[in-house]
Amino acid sequence: MLDWRWFRRLTLRLRTLFQRNRVERELEEEFQFYIEQRIELEIAKGLSPEEARSVALRAIDGVEQRKEECRDMRRMNYVDDLMRDLRYAGRAMRRNPGFAALAVLIMALGVGANTAVFSVVNAVLLRPLSYRNPDRIVTLTNRPTTDEATTGLGIRLVSIPNFQDWHDQNSSCEAMAYYRGDEEAVTVGSTAEYAQVTRVSPEFFRVFAVEPILGRRFTAEEVKPGSGGALVISYAYWQSHFGGDPRVLGQTVGGLGRPLPIVGVLRPGFGFPDKTDLWYPINTVFREPTANSRGGQNYFAVGRLKAGVSLEQAQSEMTLIARRLERQYPEFNIGETVFVTRMRVEMVGDVRSTLYLLLGAVGVVLLIACANTATLLLGKATARTREVAIRAALGASRKRVVRQLVTESLMLALFGGALGLLLAYCGSKALVGLAPADLPRLSEIRVDRWVLAFTLGISVLTSLLFGLVPALYAATVDLSEALKQGGRRMVSGVGIVRARGVLVVAETALAVVLLSAAGLLLKSFEALESVALGFQPKKALIMKATVPAPIPAARQFFEDMLPQIRALPGVLAVGATMALPGQIGSMATGPYFFNHLPPQREWPAAPSAVISVVAPGTFRALGIPLKSGRDFNDGDGSDKPLVAAVNEALVRKSLPGENPIGRTVFCLFDSAQPMTIIGVAGDVRERGPAREPMPECYIPYRQHAFNGPTLSIVVRTAGDRSGLEETLRRLANKTSPTVPMKFTTMEAMLSENVATPRFRTLLLAVFAGLAVCLAMAGIYGVMAYTVGQRSNEFGLRIALGASTNSVVRLVLRQGLALACIGLALGLAASVAGTRLLKSMLFEVQPNDPLVYVAVAVLLGVVALVAGYVPASRAAKIDPLAALRQE
Amino acid sequence: MSKPADLVQGTLDLLLLKIVALEPLHAWAISQRLKQVSGDVLQVSDGSLYPALHKLEQEGWIKAEWKVTENGRRAKFYSLTRPGRRALERETANWERLAGAISQVVRLSEV
Repeated sequence: MLDWRWFRRLTLRLRTLFQRNRVERELEEEFQFYIEQRIELEIAKGLSPEEARSVALRAIDGVEQRKEECRDMRRMNYVDDLMRDLRYAGRAMRRNPGFAALAVLIMALGVGANTAVFSVVNAVLLRPLSYRNPDRIVTLTNRPTTDEATTGLGIRLVSIPNFQDWHDQNSSCEAMAYYRGDEEAVTVGSTAEYAQVTRVSPEFFRVFAVEPILGRRFTAEEVKPGSGGALVISYAYWQSHFGGDPRVLGQTVGGLGRPLPIVGVLRPGFGFPDKTDLWYPINTVFREPTANSRGGQNYFAVGRLKAGVSLEQAQSEMTLIARRLERQYPEFNIGETVFVTRMRVEMVGDVRSTLYLLLGAVGVVLLIACANTATLLLGKATARTREVAIRAALGASRKRVVRQLVTESLMLALFGGALGLLLAYCGSKALVGLAPADLPRLSEIRVDRWVLAFTLGISVLTSLLFGLVPALYAATVDLSEALKQGGRRMVSGVGIVRARGVLVVAETALAVVLLSAAGLLLKSFEALESVALGFQPKKALIMKATVPAPIPAARQFFEDMLPQIRALPGVLAVGATMALPGQIGSMATGPYFFNHLPPQREWPAAPSAVISVVAPGTFRALGIPLKSGRDFNDGDGSDKPLVAAVNEALVRKSLPGENPIGRTVFCLFDSAQPMTIIGVAGDVRERGPAREPMPECYIPYRQHAFNGPTLSIVVRTAGDRSGLEETLRRLANKTSPTVPMKFTTMEAMLSENVATPRFRTLLLAVFAGLAVCLAMAGIYGVMAYTVGQRSNEFGLRIALGASTNSVVRLVLRQGLALACIGLALGLAASVAGTRLLKSMLFEVQPNDPLVYVAVAVLLGVVALVAGYVPASRAAKIDPLAALRQE
Repeated sequence: MSKPADLVQGTLDLLLLKIVALEPLHAWAISQRLKQVSGDVLQVSDGSLYPALHKLEQEGWIKAEWKVTENGRRAKFYSLTRPGRRALERETANWERLAGAISQVVRLSEV
């Protein structure tokens, strides 16, 4: 009922608003009718028509006034007033273009930076994934309760037998699948190259509810274990490799065990996981080596919740299943549980905190911009005292004056917002360029209607924020005082000076907080860059190569290649490894034991080591120091006794104080054979510069199977390596024409490792710089204003014999006082606030005194520079001119 | 013409609602009807009638439509809406309470 009334009222208001002409006409007609009726009545009483007319008009007592009352009743005037205010604001902006341009520019910077960051936050954190019912898609991870066995990925994946139990026992998901993706060597036509290939279990596409736009998904026959398999390709791959030709169906792609026929092309935009090019059913073309092993935790799992099943219900069911599996197979599943997470949340992971940090920082910049604009407006409010006084004298209510001034701010803010949107458009492009390449959903960043709504929202909000205080101040004008004073002199309110001081202190304090945060991140990033990695990334060329052949033949390729590369001029050392330091994705870990191999149930509790399959010479090529014993050599062949090298971290952890050389070690990788330790290498930060070295066990590539048969050849050169890539490519093609290869450098790989910290450090530094500039402008503005206000006083002082130096000091002292209060408040806020940064800092404490000292010094310099120009102007005041004014 | 009795504050709404409740009328007829039923005691000034009607319409208590009068002229007829009827009941009850209270006070015998 209440709603109905509300609705009716709204329609009436809207009618008044949008059909103004009609409403006006009706009003006119209604009055006309009334007057005519009255005239008729008076004529009937015996008056002449003229007399009757004047009586009728007198009775109604002013038709126009009555109409206005009716309009008032309809609350139409708000709109009229608004239009009038907007026109007036437009005129005011044209009259004072410099001021308007400055205010618009400041707000555009603030709003633009916010919009740009929000467009990233919106795409990465807020917008739903572009799948059908995306909130029902979940990831299932198998996390150990202890940290001991954490792999590079920080989670344990699921084994196939465990997954089967999850799949068969749960009733929460309508589809559940596991998958494993890798960069693999494929041949399309006659070219050998890398493609992102994912092996998926039967229900994979049902989880994402994704349909092919061409062809079909896999048939039941094609997903059966041991069947011939088939291939579904991504839209992007179809376009880039087959030119979008519909005759792609039935063509084959080689290199994946046997030529696989393409049966379907998926819709554009689908490339889960990791921009996959090709999908084929798992356990078909080749059987997963760990298909029956509960210890083989190598697979990712995803599911689609049934309609109406909540995340909590699914989680509690999966917890029950995990507990049951733990009891049933304690040797594999002890201490492990299943986490059900919405895919959107899981995908974003630790990027979330970085993005929120940036959003917070950029919000602070906006606040500073608001404070700045508010000080500008306050300055203007004094200049406009007379205008406001005249308006008030003519009968404008205080509310009305405030409304008009706020409308002007709104107009400034909207212009600022529009310009800001333009800046944001370029800014978000720059952000995408700077962002780490592995930032999820990077390609989805754009300015959409949510971003537009955000911009409009913050523009309006900020206009109130910076416009209301000056407007309220301007409206409390002492009429007679203001009118008495001549037009030329401004009213110098103590209140205004104080208000501007407070605003400048506030913006300085906010800038200090941003500066401190940026300083901490910078220091941390520097520490990250200069951390001892344990190897020499400079001048190391990496050539990744995959041999499309089973292991013995694949090994032959590398055995042929390595000596040829070593013989090249300018090459200092050559090696090859399965996983380079920092390359977490292809890193293998496993438990290790000394002397004898314990029963299987004790394996999960054992300490684990990174297991690296390497070629002889790798230590030298990567610059890893050999601490004792020897490197592998060509004599460590498959027919010789098995050998291994360990790192110092492993010795420290498991054999403290002992000589490891000659000891027997078991590393569970491709076999559980005993190996003799022949050397100890220095520690390497395998998981990137931010994480401590793990125990590591090196094993020679000739004695082991390796990753799919892919190795990264490491070539250390003396100096210039131009042309080396071409030479290596030629050598490889001569050795085997069907080997795809990829080149990079160790330095480029490292740079990817620290891409996220670099991104946030850079952006925060930019925001802090912006904040300092705005604060500097604020200090300058206040000082310039004060000097203008007190020019007579300064003139008098100079006339009475004050030296220019003392005047300069006087002005500077005031600026510094404001800056110091701001600094003190800002530092206090920083000490409290930068705690939040703790997880992002590397080897730097949130309350690092050096950073705060640097911030203080920088701010002092900024305050001096900002105050110097007004101060020197004060010193140049002509005492005569100042006195004459008095 | 004798000066009409001043209307008690807020009673104009009540009177207009009541008149319109009887049958849909245009503004002129409303003012005539009011004079007529009150025996010329209550009279709205021509000037204050319109703003009052527009206010009631904006409140959603009465609605207006253009109709043709008995002598063939187009005029805006006001009629009561459902929320208007409830408002009328409310206002009537209020008035009766107030009027009762006032008459009790004025009837007190003086000693």
